[in-house]
Amino acid sequence: MPQIEFINVSKEYEHGSVALDNVSFQIDPGEFVFVVGPSGAGKSTIVKLLIREEFPNSGQILVNDEDVSMIPQEHVHDYRRKIGVVFQDFKLLESRNIFENVAIALEVTDANDHEIKNVIPNVLNMVGLSSKMFMYPRQLSGGEKQRVSIARALAHEPDILVADEATGMIDPDSSDTVVEILEKVNSLGTTILMATHDQKIVDKLKKRVIRIETGKIVSDKKGGKYRG
Amino acid sequence: MLGTLIFVISGSQTALRYLEQQAQISIFFKDDFSEENILGFKSRLEEDGRIASVKYVSKNEAFEIFSQINKDEPVLLENISPSILPASLEVKALNIGDLRVLAEEFSQVDGVEEVRFFEDIIDRFKFWSNVIYIIGFVLVAVFSLISYSVIIATLRTTIHSKGIELEIMKLVGASNAYVKNPLVYQGVFLGFVSSFIAGVAMVMIGVIMKLYNMFDYGLTFGFLPRLYIQPLVFSLLLFVFLIFSGCLLGLLGSYTAVKRYLKY
Repeated sequence: MPQIEFINVSKEYEHGSVALDNVSFQIDPGEFVFVVGPSGAGKSTIVKLLIREEFPNSGQILVNDEDVSMIPQEHVHDYRRKIGVVFQDFKLLESRNIFENVAIALEVTDANDHEIKNVIPNVLNMVGLSSKMFMYPRQLSGGEKQRVSIARALAHEPDILVADEATGMIDPDSSDTVVEILEKVNSLGTTILMATHDQKIVDKLKKRVIRIETGKIVSDKKGGKYRG
Repeated sequence: MLGTLIFVISGSQTALRYLEQQAQISIFFKDDFSEENILGFKSRLEEDGRIASVKYVSKNEAFEIFSQINKDEPVLLENISPSILPASLEVKALNIGDLRVLAEEFSQVDGVEEVRFFEDIIDRFKFWSNVIYIIGFVLVAVFSLISYSVIIATLRTTIHSKGIELEIMKLVGASNAYVKNPLVYQGVFLGFVSSFIAGVAMVMIGVIMKLYNMFDYGLTFGFLPRLYIQPLVFSLLLFVFLIFSGCLLGLLGSYTAVKRYLKY
């Protein structure tokens, strides 16, 4: 059974632009999938639909066989706890240190202090930032900030990790580090969906690549490359 | 503002109630209408549900009152005897609105010489009391609306300043309640603090009234007949009411702000 399934999904925004046009694909548990394409192709829309920040105009999005659009509003937070999200702009709170930035993911689940103190050092260790636990975001490089963002996404051990242009604002070396971490996470069983237009990374990893252009899937290849 | 207006409204209503209670109809009888007939008429009036009390003033009592009023004019008193003063009934109505109807009814009764009551003064006071009442409630409504808007604006600022924090909370799986409740509590707290300050001011007014023996008989409202509350107790009740209404206003304002500005 696929873990993520887009069935004839279309999304048109209010101003009339078509972001996705009858898109269908399946992702199995434990897969690492790149969604590639030029800016405005519809990559971020797939991410937004998957985390239910947006609703499709038509079609179905199934995650673990559950129709995402049909999840009652009062249960959306439970659904989101199963999906870790990493954004291009990191979305870190400048007023909180690294430990606190990651802890927020557990605080919202009403985890107790003991649990938070146990989990956070482990996830920060996984992304190689345990020594910078009490530093503030302004004291970190772009790559390090993105690793904090990944640590936060992993804090409640999600089944799926979605990364939207996670390497878009960091230097190539840091990008390699970020992707290595994502590979490590994937090797532990987490499904990874990474929207990117970073050709170097896609070509290097030789994972499944779904290419999307003007809202339509133009290719979907395992062991693929950015340009097919 | 709400507290002050309630005090002013209650004060004017109390004064009106006092005047109403003092308002009476004096029924003067013809000389040939016997005391027996007057007392019979009095008994019938006492059974009328519209009438609060009836007092008989005999010719002799009328003379005593007249003498008391004119005690500095002995020449006048020498020429007056009890027999030329009319006996009368002093009638107090339960409701001031019935005075005119009762007066008209009494004037039709055989043996009644004249019926008098001070309708104009009471009507005028009643009019101004109602004006205070209406203006007061309009002002309360306006200021409540302003307070409501201030709470919404304050929370809008909070929501905007916490924009990224709220967005992150949403993305990492915070429940609606987790995000919204602190904002709602903030609105309620704002309402509580402002109403508490106002409430303390009202209690101080109550204490001052107590110290200077103002409204000793108690304060009242037009819609609560026969209920008089001592100013200090009144101010304490007002304190509780203000706290309750302040918190309620905060709750409503914060719910509105959260619904309008928190895209969740």
